[in-house]
Amino acid sequence: MTHSLHREGTISSLERDYALFIYPARGFNYNGSGPKVRRIMELLYLEAPSNMIVSTLRRNLYSGVRPEEVLESIKDGARIYSAFNNREKLKEALVGIKKLDEGISVVVSGLIDQVREMAAEINLNPHTINLSLGIHGRTDRLPPPDIRQFTTMCGHGMVSPALVRDVIRRIKKGRLALWEGSIILAAPCTCGIYNPHRSQEMLHDLVPLYTVNRW
Amino acid sequence: MIIRQEICVGCGRCHPYCPTHAIHFQDLKSAVDQEVCYECGCCLRAEICPVEAIEDSPQVYDYPRALRKYFSDPNATHALTGIQGRGTEESKTNDVTLRVGPGEVGIAIEVGRPNIGMNLTNIQKITRALARAGIHEIEPNNPFQDMIQDHSTGDLKPELMGERVLSAIIEIQVKRDRLRHILRTIKEVAREVDSVFCLDVYTLLEPGLTVPPEVLEIIESEGLSWRPNAKINLGLGRAWERKNS
Repeated sequence: MTHSLHREGTISSLERDYALFIYPARGFNYNGSGPKVRRIMELLYLEAPSNMIVSTLRRNLYSGVRPEEVLESIKDGARIYSAFNNREKLKEALVGIKKLDEGISVVVSGLIDQVREMAAEINLNPHTINLSLGIHGRTDRLPPPDIRQFTTMCGHGMVSPALVRDVIRRIKKGRLALWEGSIILAAPCTCGIYNPHRSQEMLHDLVPLYTVNRW
Repeated sequence: MIIRQEICVGCGRCHPYCPTHAIHFQDLKSAVDQEVCYECGCCLRAEICPVEAIEDSPQVYDYPRALRKYFSDPNATHALTGIQGRGTEESKTNDVTLRVGPGEVGIAIEVGRPNIGMNLTNIQKITRALARAGIHEIEPNNPFQDMIQDHSTGDLKPELMGERVLSAIIEIQVKRDRLRHILRTIKEVAREVDSVFCLDVYTLLEPGLTVPPEVLEIIESEGLSWRPNAKINLGLGRAWERKNS
């Protein structure tokens, strides 16, 4: 469970952040799903997502893995996890997936109003919604919201708040470029839904303002 | 995870990669606090160590410590379910499986998320509260199910009480008319939990991506609100059509 519905940040930032999942269902359309998922993966490569991983390889777009290696790894049950930083690119991908009509579950995580508009524009009938009712319990122990907008892009909690602070510190010192810092932050997310383009924008906004102690 | 002291050069590069601050300096070298480490493997996967001193702990797959790995490392496959990750497919394949059907809601309590993790005694506080409230419908396919000793009381297996995991998900599926009761129970137990948890509700949509007003009314009346972003199954899976026909 990728936890993508709990991504935090401003509305204007979340407008450029969508996670897209392709999921065969265990016990239903799992067997024989490999070639179908592969065709969807080929299509997604052409739509230039911000990040992408297939569950059989778990190496993201920036790891140096070649598309051929990714496609060859796909077998029955493989899932695709991806992130888009552009609504129109995602919409084009969905148009293509709809046309392929592989019968595999497709899930978009993003602003409800934006997904509603997109679904209407391409004549889709969304089936199920998973709503986030927020964080409860000892919220005083959480990292601050400006750090959480990075860390919640990896739902499994693999992007450490200390790493975000470390990257900010290294950018401030001129040792890293914004994009390099973003790629460092995207690497621990083994589901491939960390959006490095959004992260770059957030670093751009945050770095001049932020004072960091050594972790 | 362990850091081999005879190899470590004490550069500290691995420290910020640990989501739980388990890596610290000890005698000018880096060391992992075994009590705090969740066995998530972040430090190893980062390939940041210049001398390859980071390794899996020899005890990582010994029970019950193995649960740390299964519930903290998204790449680990749970020995019982054969599934990677900490939950199930829940809403993601609901257009095919119809696990949550008309008039029903799915509820997920994602304990330890985001970022904090927890001792398993905190999960037991929630399962006990749910059991006291008469709620025993915990999703059987979730690997968390294997931690439960007694569904009638919500007790977990006693040997797990010292263990810590980065997160575990309590999944429930009920009729919509029980949603209010469950949300109220969860709100009350939230005061006892020494960690955080994320709360999710999933339901079938009405045409036009309309969330059933009955569900929203219950959420609002319990003083809760929903975030503007959500996970939405677009209905392109075909098994649901076959079931209908």
